[in-house]
Amino acid sequence: MAALCHDLGHLPFSHAAEKELLPDGWDHERLTLEIIRSAEMESIWKEIKINSDDVAKIAVGPQKYKFGDYSNWEAILSEIITGNSFGVDRMDYLLRDSHHAGVAYGKFDHHRLIDTIRILPKKEGDSIEPVLGIEEGGLHSAEALLLGRYFMFTQLYSHPVRRIYDIHLKDFIKEWLSEEFLSINVEDYLQLTDNEILLELFNAARDEKQKGHDSAKRIVKRDHFKVLYQRNPKDIQKNRYAARAIFEMACDKFGKKNVRIDCYKQSSNGHEFPVLTEDKRIVSSLELSDILENVPIAALDYVYINTENKKKAKKWLKENLETIIEIREEEKIEAIET
Amino acid sequence: MKRLKRDAVLLSLIDNLRAKGSWCGETHIQKATYFVQELFGTPLGFEFILYKHGPFSFDLSDELTAMRADMLLKLQPQPHPYGPSLVPWEGSNLIKEHFPSTLKKYNSQVKFVADQFGDKGVAELERLATALFVTKKFESNKNIESRADLITKLKPHVKLNEALDAVRTIDEIIKISSDINEVI
Repeated sequence: MAALCHDLGHLPFSHAAEKELLPDGWDHERLTLEIIRSAEMESIWKEIKINSDDVAKIAVGPQKYKFGDYSNWEAILSEIITGNSFGVDRMDYLLRDSHHAGVAYGKFDHHRLIDTIRILPKKEGDSIEPVLGIEEGGLHSAEALLLGRYFMFTQLYSHPVRRIYDIHLKDFIKEWLSEEFLSINVEDYLQLTDNEILLELFNAARDEKQKGHDSAKRIVKRDHFKVLYQRNPKDIQKNRYAARAIFEMACDKFGKKNVRIDCYKQSSNGHEFPVLTEDKRIVSSLELSDILENVPIAALDYVYINTENKKKAKKWLKENLETIIEIREEEKIEAIET
Repeated sequence: MKRLKRDAVLLSLIDNLRAKGSWCGETHIQKATYFVQELFGTPLGFEFILYKHGPFSFDLSDELTAMRADMLLKLQPQPHPYGPSLVPWEGSNLIKEHFPSTLKKYNSQVKFVADQFGDKGVAELERLATALFVTKKFESNKNIESRADLITKLKPHVKLNEALDAVRTIDEIIKISSDINEVI
């Protein structure tokens, strides 16, 4: 039940616009909790004699559940669903997104992986706690999963064109909404699906008097903003927030409505887990796998510019890049951070 | 605290822990950061819950990963049974150089935590950090025995005598840190 309910709270178009369309302190996991505890769901839980809080706790995991601590068993059960290394949510979205996007990057032998998952003691020095680990025979499947995730992030999820359409969609929904945020009332929230948004999007794209017309038209006519700047390791070494600095200066130069920024970094990557070897010893995955030790962390920074300003902006950036990203004194750095 | 300043404090904490002989696995850094934040009220802004090996912050875990992506930290594998260390990497000095006032402001807190906890193993850090967590969460409960009892319930692998020692030690550390806070 917890696994089935894990994604109930997603907004239309999933993650695309979550951060800006929900009030402070709200995210899709909190909405998942609200839906699991709603009157409609309570009647189901009652009928099958399940406590809604038990489902909620396991469904969203300790990172998002703020109403109590986790026992070892609860932590393990939740890890099976939401875990960084072998969570079924991760396995599912990689395989499904690969299939529907027509790419092979996210495919791995999930049958072998699931067959070899074990609850194992994770030692850290002299402290031991139970976590999900794997038999040595499944290590290559685990490597394929974690490499697959990296490839899916770099090749598909983080593709600059895919990302800018998320931004245009978010801009459209924000302009189209009559309120500042989406309703967090469960009944109202569940009324809004991808279909309602798509219908409104096409209507707005056709009619310049409608709210969100410009963003909707960009999506429908494939007239998206173009990349002005993308993350470069040399720049990151000079200024961790190089993209942010460029964005701020570009906004000053070309106007806020013509510039967009998108920054993302992969969260904890789950590359370290215990492995049960053929001779029944338990060893860290990083000791057995050179691959896992070296899988990079997916990270992106893009600054986009309106097509009309692209040529001028590119020239401006080429001439001023070094000055813009130069790290400034302590007080001034605060101004460019978010 | 803004993120770059917070990064500078975290990097300084890692430097100080390493100087005291810590192998600086993520668990060490998690617990040391918890102590810096909770003993002194340092505004690092991490939310800690009671999880693996005691108080744990998913935000901090994500931030450490982000710092690796941005070449401020590097993962260094260690022989079994030790987990990998996180060591300062190419961009770390630049960050520290740009925040002298911030580092000076939090230097006493960072040094105190490194001095007190830098040489401790994960199991002892787990007990001490859980003792602080229990003490702060149930502030009305000053009784040493009942706090120790609670620790053994939350962490069944911790023995009662170990929990009692941890609560007594953390009470002393809280007292010293309060004195330092007054001086600051």
